[in-house]
Amino acid sequence: MHAVPSTNETTTGEAPARKLRGDWTPINYDLRDTWFPVSHSRDLCARPIRRIIHAQPYYLWRENGLPIAAEFHPQRSKGEALHLSEFTGGSGFYPVVERYGYIWAWYGNPDAADPLQLPHIPFLPEDGNIPGYTQRTVRFDATSALSVENLIDLTHADFLHANTIGDGISESDVVEVEWTSETVTRTRTVAQKSVAPIMRWVGGVRAKYQDFRAVLHIHLRSNVCISYPRFRPGYDVPNLQPFLPVGKHRSRCDVTFNTTAAPAPFRYVMPRINYIIQPQDNSVVRPQNQRYFEADERLDMHSRFDKPGTRYRYQMEQLAERQAAGQFAYGSDAEPGRDISGLLGMND
Amino acid sequence: MTTPGWWAMALCEAVNDKTPLAVAFAGEELVLFRNAEGQAFALEDRCPHRRVPLALGRVVAAGLQCGYHGWTFDGASGRCTQIPNLRTNEPVPPRYAARAFPVSEGNGFVHVWLGEGVPDIDLPTDDYRPVGQQFTGSTIVNMSHEQYLAAMLDGPECLLNFAHVRMTDFFLGDVRKEHGRLVLERGAVWTTQILPSNFVVDYPLIVRTEVPVQGGSIRVDLLSEDETPLISLAIASGANRRGTTSLCWRGFVHAEVPAKAPLRWRTARVWHKAPFTVNSLIDGSAVAALLEAPSRDLHAARPPRLIPVSAVV
Ligand code: FES
Ligand SMILES: [Fe+2]
Repeated sequence: MHAVPSTNETTTGEAPARKLRGDWTPINYDLRDTWFPVSHSRDLCARPIRRIIHAQPYYLWRENGLPIAAEFHPQRSKGEALHLSEFTGGSGFYPVVERYGYIWAWYGNPDAADPLQLPHIPFLPEDGNIPGYTQRTVRFDATSALSVENLIDLTHADFLHANTIGDGISESDVVEVEWTSETVTRTRTVAQKSVAPIMRWVGGVRAKYQDFRAVLHIHLRSNVCISYPRFRPGYDVPNLQPFLPVGKHRSRCDVTFNTTAAPAPFRYVMPRINYIIQPQDNSVVRPQNQRYFEADERLDMHSRFDKPGTRYRYQMEQLAERQAAGQFAYGSDAEPGRDISGLLGMND
Repeated sequence: MTTPGWWAMALCEAVNDKTPLAVAFAGEELVLFRNAEGQAFALEDRCPHRRVPLALGRVVAAGLQCGYHGWTFDGASGRCTQIPNLRTNEPVPPRYAARAFPVSEGNGFVHVWLGEGVPDIDLPTDDYRPVGQQFTGSTIVNMSHEQYLAAMLDGPECLLNFAHVRMTDFFLGDVRKEHGRLVLERGAVWTTQILPSNFVVDYPLIVRTEVPVQGGSIRVDLLSEDETPLISLAIASGANRRGTTSLCWRGFVHAEVPAKAPLRWRTARVWHKAPFTVNSLIDGSAVAALLEAPSRDLHAARPPRLIPVSAVV
């Protein structure tokens, strides 16, 4: 059984309940002034590659080993007049940082770029020194906010992913949500759930039941989803799933599953599980996406199990409204770079 | 404008209690399924929870279960009857519902009532009375519904074919209105005939096409020269997405064998060979070359928009 304590409900006043009934328009979020992990570090070399954030082109390459992010192709644009945008302040070059095995490029006003606002990812080495098997690229056929909503949503696993993640039967199952103006954190604590098929067959967990706690910490502007599931008996499967908004219809996810502490073959298999799960998710988010374009007077209906998702929707709407009003600064309650190892339950 | 009506949307045998069937007719995207007792239902193919097509789900005892989070909808009312993990004493509010549509089965077709009002007793396929073996099918053609109906009058040879028969475009009279359809006849000849069809004094065959003024129920008959029916077809049609047209059909061969029928036609009949084909691929240049003739009456008779966008909860 799920139970969703509304611990923080009082801190935000009475507005949410009413606002949540408003339609949400995931396809229209174009949130600025944030770092996007545009590529795994290992995918970057001297030959330029192209990424897209919303409609903005990002050409990435290395010069003397250092990453460069530009809005033009260095070879192709020779001799042509370049149309440079406000995203690079007319310089043609985006602020760029390499950390945690990713190239992070700034999307927004370049004067506001500050490496201190890079998310803290406690389970990834800062220098990115992590084996290649932990990293994979998957694509979602939906706008990034719908993809994030799919990730934050727990109740679909029992239906869409029952054969990989397992059924929803457990002794107790508690879901909690916390948030700031820039993040939403969902924590699920489950006691005595039947061991997930992948843990049993690949992970060698012989017990019939296991406890688990899964923390998902979402940076709203950048769709960077930091996830820390801990299975006992079993392993920790910390992972990063950053959804790069490739326009209104698609998102790209360069994931890292840090399974280096788990035994083989689980260590190698787990990072690839997205290849099984992700087509299942795509089968629903793909047709969903077009229906969020249609001006529809019928609002989505919610059950109490949707609390994390509706909170995510509400916080996204709030942030979008602030940005629409020209406020791009980070709120005083939000410090993207703060240490989250405690929040993720890593220190317990 | 409100012009409610029954639309045949599927062959009865295509709708079952295992796999939901997605259909699109008259601009509505619906999902059809049966319960264990065999009763057929139609719901809008959209889950009110997160808008996922219900056709991706599965049929369960309580109705149709959405494949994303398992909300379950009653086929008759559309009401959400189950949300997984709710306590037994936690009711689901009545407004939690998918749009449900009245369904009536008859003549081998599943019909769905679109628009307001009380559904009629009569079904648009009621004049289809098969005997013996039936030949059935369904497809989506790359042509708009209005154009498909127009071509059924101006040039049915672009859309379907009777085995060993060549249709002509010599119309036998003008379009007439009968039982809510525009009816037109044209001459036809056996393909075994050596002389071109314009040397024929009287056509040995007649093709009669009937196109609905409302809805999508088409009827096509092959008749002998004395107007005895040889082959009859009921074709259900309706607008699918992106200017395409959904079709499903049933047809059969009558008992009568015309005296002048060629041997190959008789043989095919004995061997139960398909007596007609309804084209899935339509030759664009042939359709483009059709002159607008009898279909002029159709444009005048058929209101451009039949189904209102229904009010929603
Ligand atoms: S979208 Fe149908 S149950 Fe959630
Ligand atoms: Fe999923």
